[in-house]
Amino acid sequence: MTSRPEYLPERLALLSDVQAAEYISAGLLEGREDVPSIALNKVAEPLPGDEARLGLHRVRDLIDHALAKFQGERPTAADAWLAPRLHETLRLTRREAAEKRLWTYMALGVAPDYVVWRHLSDSKADSSRGRVARDKFVGPHYKQAFARLWWAAELFRNGSDYRPAVVACGSQDMLNSALRLDVIDHRPTALALVRLIEGGVVRTGREVNALTPAVNAAAATLMYDVIAPDVERDGEPMRDWIEGAESALPSPRNSLPEGPEEEGVPEKAVQRLVAHFEDLFADAPVRGRTSDESG
Amino acid sequence: MRAYPYHRPTGAVTARVTAVRLSGPGGHREQLDTRAYSVVEQVVALGRAERDDWQTARLTLTATVPAREIETKGHWSDVTVVAVLTEGATNTRTVARLTPDREGGREWTGEIELDRDDHLDRASLVVHVVATVGGVEGRLIASTDQEWLIDMTAEAPLRDRDIDLSTVSFARGSEWLRSFRDAPWILDTAGRMPVVRLNSDFEGIVALVEGQGSKVESVIREMLLAQMGTDVWTAVFHTAIGDLEIEDDGTPLLPPDWRGEVLREMLPDIVPGRSVEDALREVHIRRTGEGGWADLQPRIQYAASRRAEVPRALADTVRDIERLDQETRA
Repeated sequence: MTSRPEYLPERLALLSDVQAAEYISAGLLEGREDVPSIALNKVAEPLPGDEARLGLHRVRDLIDHALAKFQGERPTAADAWLAPRLHETLRLTRREAAEKRLWTYMALGVAPDYVVWRHLSDSKADSSRGRVARDKFVGPHYKQAFARLWWAAELFRNGSDYRPAVVACGSQDMLNSALRLDVIDHRPTALALVRLIEGGVVRTGREVNALTPAVNAAAATLMYDVIAPDVERDGEPMRDWIEGAESALPSPRNSLPEGPEEEGVPEKAVQRLVAHFEDLFADAPVRGRTSDESG
Repeated sequence: MRAYPYHRPTGAVTARVTAVRLSGPGGHREQLDTRAYSVVEQVVALGRAERDDWQTARLTLTATVPAREIETKGHWSDVTVVAVLTEGATNTRTVARLTPDREGGREWTGEIELDRDDHLDRASLVVHVVATVGGVEGRLIASTDQEWLIDMTAEAPLRDRDIDLSTVSFARGSEWLRSFRDAPWILDTAGRMPVVRLNSDFEGIVALVEGQGSKVESVIREMLLAQMGTDVWTAVFHTAIGDLEIEDDGTPLLPPDWRGEVLREMLPDIVPGRSVEDALREVHIRRTGEGGWADLQPRIQYAASRRAEVPRALADTVRDIERLDQETRA
């Protein structure tokens, strides 16, 4: 298996797709090779400044903990644990998180061993090797190994409360299908989806995969923002939280960390959408669901 | 055309930004002058700010809605008008309600605020009219045809963007550039916008491109820039088409960033007479092995040279050379 990089610098860095291409070998994708860490760090561009949140070792420690904690378990189980803690450790603005090069560096420079451990598919019956999809290293935000966790935590948290994000990350189908949809950029919509999982309204992967397209399609003719309005965004709590990173303790390993003290989502808005989504779901075609079950 | 299962007004909805106010640390306030936004281009250029440390931008906007039609046809009640600001790259969506200047009026005004930390490059601003129709509340009944673009860094409010040119020593540059040390220029498509890196180690090229030389030099400069332009457009096209997201049913999606803009602009020349979506599907199928990819290359080259205005540059050059010849003889 791909191992922990031998050389880990002090600071996180940026790595472009072009630079990364050289290191994403077939051997790495099959988990047979390591990333040559010294050479990689020669081409990567370290982040300027000395802010604690952009130090490399706090993130690496977190990943080491995840690897130890979930050893012997199904790697997917680690997502719900790592997502809020990764989010709380990095304390990025959305502008910073939109920087793909940071995530590419995380995957190749900080923790290629984690990417391989988490995303190596089972080897096929015909004895071909298991493989990590390339987009787990350099893909869009809803595919890349660390970006997807950070964005899931960002888009599914309720202010400082990460619990909804934990629920969302606990369902691979929700994580994979909802994260790519623009509708969840509206906080009450994201939380209402989580409520349907929590309430047991949608349980199986098939059910989630029927619900999210229905919600997305309905948004073309219905303005969720108007029927379930959110509070106005305020950037101050996020700025304070980012400043607080200098004196922050490492993310708690057993209890959930706390996010920025933003105003929570109005409960009325979430409930309004939960009711609406339940109706949509009742009419949505679910593979394998017979009509009397859906009644 | 999408078919809607409810009544929608046919009249147009338009929007215009009328003021832009920035706020920064320590109570700093700045009102951008009117050159920062263009009603024709429908672009706001926040790069015109005097101070670079602004944190929020508050846009004042007015929307015009077909109020008379809404009133006379009578299908709609609880009419609200909202402005929605989004940016795909940061998954950010901000909504503000506008208010009518009088009951039943055509003009609705309001303010929408964006936080710079929530945006990377360009946000898009759309106005929607929402109403209760046939007992269903929150129906989207009309929207602006063309969105406004809010550019976080541009200094001029223009929709089309030039590709950046930056001069750097390849020999002393990053490891990646060092492998191209003999090249006069190279296109870097890794960032949020493609950049042409001009090699300052290549003697004379910087002076030539920056163009403060003789007439002969300026003639050559025009040709060189057109040549670079063709290279750039060809490369960005291949970058964009090679990095498509594919839906589960095999439909390729137009990327939300500059890659999408490039494809929208070039596809009509590459697969003429088809919608951009159809053309994209066609090109994607050809590239991924159904055959015909090689046949498409002349069309890609044609589209690139048109974008780079090679025919015009060449025609100008021919004329300039004639003129220079005449001057030498005279």
